[in-house]
Amino acid sequence: MADDRFREQALEHLDALHNLAVYLTRNGAEAEDLVQETYVRAMRFSHRFEPGTHLRAWMFQILRNTFLTFYRLRERESAVSENGIPEGEAPMFHDAPADDSERAGAHMDLERALVQLPEEFKTPLLLAEVEGLALEDVARIMDCPVGTVKSRIFRAKERLRSHLKDYGAGPKD
Amino acid sequence: MAGGIEDRYEDDAEMRRALRALPRHAAPARLRSSVAQALTADAAPRSRPSRWLAPAISALAAAMITLLWIAPLLPSAAPPDPLRPLARAVINEHSRTVLWGESRPDVVPLVLPWAMDEGGILLNWVFTGDERIQLVNAQPTYLEGRRGIELAYRDVEGHTVTYLILPLPALVLPERGRVQIDRWRPLVRKENGFSMILWKQQGLLCALVSDLVSDEDFARLKEYFIKVRSSTDPYPVY
Repeated sequence: MADDRFREQALEHLDALHNLAVYLTRNGAEAEDLVQETYVRAMRFSHRFEPGTHLRAWMFQILRNTFLTFYRLRERESAVSENGIPEGEAPMFHDAPADDSERAGAHMDLERALVQLPEEFKTPLLLAEVEGLALEDVARIMDCPVGTVKSRIFRAKERLRSHLKDYGAGPKD
Repeated sequence: MAGGIEDRYEDDAEMRRALRALPRHAAPARLRSSVAQALTADAAPRSRPSRWLAPAISALAAAMITLLWIAPLLPSAAPPDPLRPLARAVINEHSRTVLWGESRPDVVPLVLPWAMDEGGILLNWVFTGDERIQLVNAQPTYLEGRRGIELAYRDVEGHTVTYLILPLPALVLPERGRVQIDRWRPLVRKENGFSMILWKQQGLLCALVSDLVSDEDFARLKEYFIKVRSSTDPYPVY
């Protein structure tokens, strides 16, 4: 694939990559670093991309691998609280719409619940349900069989429901 | 509140709709601009090769082809050992680590991502050590024309154990020389005062090399093999 065309097509996926990066890193600056690093690697390894295959899925795969390489390692070193969320890290809800408070509240709860999911559940759920990728592509990104992807998505939803129940049981404003 | 949020997502379709309705975190303009700049910089024209390079390469290629043609005709004392060059390279690398490698367990968490990035090998899990042996350094390496990663361990008795990982998908390890260690059957070699345990994992060649040669010492190397084999998960990036 010609470099110019490759660059042009790769840039089309910037928003989607950034969206996933935000959910993975839970930090705006780190999400931007992660996306930037993803593009640098994509260009460095562009000769390994097979034209005709799914560029979007390939870019997501690089982003996830980069995240696992740099961020999860760092996360291991940081203190982890009992619920698995590194201490001192706040989830990002800065884009929650302000026009409809009930809907905004629901989004906020859902985002909070998403943030609490482990990466191996969160990524397939976001890729399949939010980004609309085929399960086969998600399986390639996650480097696991399609059956495992289905099971992780199922379990991710179960966990989301469980977290949402916890929020629902808490005191309301 | 009747029909709270906990009930709202019981239905799968409703959950999907809610997930898709989540606000998207679009890339900020500064990120778009910096990514575009980085991609443009990457596309900058590379310097033209020198005029003498093409004839020099073709002369070198001709010489190599001639050499390859003549080589089988030369007298040979022993049948060729396809693993010998690799084994020697692995031992040389281990010797360099023993002579000049630094023991810096404190900086391993910092250098490991860099070593993985440069070496093109991702370690999903890595054995960092226990009460008998410690991971003391990590660095990218270049052996047999391949980029890879090298982890250096030191045991409580001061022996250095080098763990090399190289992407060699086409290499097939022979059956001869294999030894059952726990649930694996790696290849074992002893050469020039060094012991080597070689195995394939995810298309990667992995080698554990040390000066633990005597029967008693080699039993320890086998223990270290079990530890790194069961606790390290390498695979080639992309």
